Amino acid sequence: MATLDLAVAGLRPHKRDALRELGIMSLNGMFDEMDGVAVLRQATEHLLPGDLAIVSSFGADSSVLLHMVAQVDKSLPVYFLETGKHFPETLDYVETLKRQLGLTNVVALHPDAKDIARFDPTGDLWETDPDSCCHIRKTEPLDEAVKGFGGWVTGRKRYQTAERGVLPHFELTSDDRIKVNPLAYFSDADIVSYKLKYGLPEHPLYAKGYKSIGCAPCTSIVAEGEDPRAGRWRGLNKKECGIHFDFNGAIAKPMANQELNLFKDGAFVADPFHSWAEGDDAGSVSYTHIPLAVFVENRDAVLANPHPVGLLVSPADDVMAVKGDLDRFSSIAINFPAYTDGRGYSSARLLVERLGYKGEVRAVGDVLHDQIQLMRRCGITAFVVKHEPTKKALIDGKLATVDIFYQPVGLTEIPVGTRPFLRRAVENA
Amino acid sequence: MYRYDEFDAAFVKERTAQFSDQVARRLTGELNEDQFRPLRLMNGLYLQLHAYMLRIAVPYGTMNSKQMHMLAHIARTYDRGYGHFTTRQNIQFNWPKLRDIPKILEDLASVEMHAIQTSGNCIRNITTDQFAGATADEIIDPRPVAEILRQWSSLHPEFSYLPRKFKIAMTGSPTDRAAIRFHDIGLQATTSALGEIGWQVWVGGGLGRTPMIGKMISGFVPHEHLLAYLESILRVYNRYGRRDNKYKARIKILVHEEGIDSIRQQVDEEFAQVKGGVLHLPQDELDRIGKYFVEPAYELVNETRVDVAREKILNPLYGRWLEHNLHGHRQPGYVSVTISLKPIGGAPGDATDAQIDVVADLAERYSHDELRVTHEQNLVLPHVKITDLPAVYARLVEHGLAEGNAGQITDMICCPGLDFCALANARSIPLAQEISRKFGSPERQAEIGDLKIKISGCINACGHHHVAHIGILGVEKKGTELYQITVGGDATEQAAIGDILGHGFIAEDVPAAIERLVDAYIARRQSPSEPFIDAFRRIGKEPFKEALYGNA
Repeated sequence: MATLDLAVAGLRPHKRDALRELGIMSLNGMFDEMDGVAVLRQATEHLLPGDLAIVSSFGADSSVLLHMVAQVDKSLPVYFLETGKHFPETLDYVETLKRQLGLTNVVALHPDAKDIARFDPTGDLWETDPDSCCHIRKTEPLDEAVKGFGGWVTGRKRYQTAERGVLPHFELTSDDRIKVNPLAYFSDADIVSYKLKYGLPEHPLYAKGYKSIGCAPCTSIVAEGEDPRAGRWRGLNKKECGIHFDFNGAIAKPMANQELNLFKDGAFVADPFHSWAEGDDAGSVSYTHIPLAVFVENRDAVLANPHPVGLLVSPADDVMAVKGDLDRFSSIAINFPAYTDGRGYSSARLLVERLGYKGEVRAVGDVLHDQIQLMRRCGITAFVVKHEPTKKALIDGKLATVDIFYQPVGLTEIPVGTRPFLRRAVENA
Repeated sequence: MYRYDEFDAAFVKERTAQFSDQVARRLTGELNEDQFRPLRLMNGLYLQLHAYMLRIAVPYGTMNSKQMHMLAHIARTYDRGYGHFTTRQNIQFNWPKLRDIPKILEDLASVEMHAIQTSGNCIRNITTDQFAGATADEIIDPRPVAEILRQWSSLHPEFSYLPRKFKIAMTGSPTDRAAIRFHDIGLQATTSALGEIGWQVWVGGGLGRTPMIGKMISGFVPHEHLLAYLESILRVYNRYGRRDNKYKARIKILVHEEGIDSIRQQVDEEFAQVKGGVLHLPQDELDRIGKYFVEPAYELVNETRVDVAREKILNPLYGRWLEHNLHGHRQPGYVSVTISLKPIGGAPGDATDAQIDVVADLAERYSHDELRVTHEQNLVLPHVKITDLPAVYARLVEHGLAEGNAGQITDMICCPGLDFCALANARSIPLAQEISRKFGSPERQAEIGDLKIKISGCINACGHHHVAHIGILGVEKKGTELYQITVGGDATEQAAIGDILGHGFIAEDVPAAIERLVDAYIARRQSPSEPFIDAFRRIGKEPFKEALYGNA
């Protein structure tokens, strides 16, 4: 019955071993939370001898894990994703650590040249489609390399981001590999004191304010008190590069040369959001602006939707109707179907001034040169622009504006002179 | 009057530069006409039948002589030697060339003037009583608040793309000379039970194809909350005013369709949120702006009366001018003088460059450098010493500005009509000229007394025909210009909309029809001191209908 076998194979490509799963789970709790070396030794010597890969970004905190590796076995394979987009300081740091810790098996993984030629011929995929960029530079090469191993070691820590709050020492992935996280319980302070205790060299960029270091284009400085990973893919609602998810996790297909229409923080940038389409499911869409009316009708489903979503406000929508749920949205799009329809200005002011919405408020629709300043004043911070002359004016910084105002509007305008009543100016003027 | 400080000057300069940039982008094609139109309108630039028309703002109708001289300069240099004063207390020029517009705006800016928001779906020039700050019958001088409203409404980011235009008028006097009940918002100064001065707020008045009398939305709003209250009304209107039909987009339709009680509730809810916030008007700011409008240094004058009866005997024309064109002043020995722009047979509201210069000179010399534009398309010298009246009159006579017909039947409001306007269905100026000639004799006008005729060349009602004692509306029926006649309208605090009495007349028959109405009134009035509108209210429209159409 070959037909039936195929069907079964198609439906259930992989059968999990429940006992094995339980065994791995039980390893968690066997070791002192802070005893990363013991965790690593257990993995290399007992759990997966000769079958374990260690992957390091050689970033700000990498020295701690690599120092543990050096204590366990200096010849363990250490993979480094040479994406071609690293800071030069990172590449120097690889050499420094290799030398200082005596690591003998550091292997650089390069992206497939054919992938680069096909998906990123101009080298700006990181800007147009960061998910795809990570995919061809990190996920694919790493996938290839770890195929031959039963598991891998990561330097992930619970404290780093909210999503990692429940990270254990040992995990079983959906394709039956083991992920080992020796630093799972380390805090920022633990890392610092470990580095101090063993005199480990710092990443040269750490002192300059980089707390989590990835590829150069997608890494920025984080402010005091900010989430250390806030500097990664800043402004993109992107938190993970994909490689820490299951190997089989679905990752968007690379899409090169996408047109940039989103103007934000002074530049046209990649837009992680998609437009809502007829037939979309409010409970499962991701990075989509859900129309306000759809949200109101499917509120529970949207609140249960695990993905980042936005809200689309049309002119006739009453934003006060979503008053209590604004935190759910990482972006609110205000639609101006015709630029002469000024209702969006009131909606924006209500959202920002009355309801205290702090996330991105973007204008979509008929967004033109001469209305942008009015929109800004009403609290709109991002603009999806399709009108070419308007784009050009924004890029060139040549909007024709009047930069002093006769009426107090919004939260950022500052009083002018000694008579603060009414008169305002732009914040940075 | 208000004087620009550096902030005001910088604002107008930046706005002028912005508009010049917009014109340049239109010329390169970066903006198409659809994208450019609202931008140019928001700067007062219309495309009319024959040419561009530029409408210049005269905030609350107040100017000094320097500004007035500049208008003469513009008329002379960029136009055909005249300008047209409007019912919005503005002035418009009918023949400027597009290439001259930036230059005109620069010239205007040099005397603290501009064309900002004289058109477009935004808050237009705030208008007020032409005798503000001078008249004896005033509760307060409305100009400081008008100036604050001008500032608040200038390039307001939330209210630049309203469903439709938005007009605010205010009066500090219980006698309404600003037609506040026929504006989107009308503000009437009033005193609360506690003796505090504030504003009664009327909303949803308007003319046009659906005339409506404003409804009182609040009986009392104190100064400190006025901006917050107006912002609340504007927000409710911006969010809920109709945008599906341009002819139903004014706030009067929203108020009419939803009902004043519902609108009041929505405004009150909004007001509860906005009140006491950044728009809270501090008393010291009101005082600071108020200082710009302090009374000029009046002289103590012994002569405090004008003996009109005596002057009439000595010089009937001068006596007639004194009788009609003076308005009582709060300062003994002073009067406000109305300079009629309605010479017999002339185009109502027009003034030549030379006349504009003369009025500017008179204002400088005899009226503490101040003059006003009235919504009835005349000019006013607000503070003239009684002893200077003969000299003022003599200058006016020399320049054809001495018509003593203020408030009389020949003092008509009239829109530009089909001679200029792309919207008009019918000519209005030639008709006004005909009527003016027909009733031109001083004796005939004296016999008739106070009677206001207003003429609109189309349903948009720029000539305020709905609120005329006798209104004339030009319509087009099957290729013919016809004129409908209405009777009984009133723009004052006794607000009323005139009734259409029957079918329209062709232009040639209109003056005779008006005469029949006038004769019917004279025949039925109780005494020569009962004005037309009072007689109409007493006897109703039937006698007038009969006068027009016979006993059918």
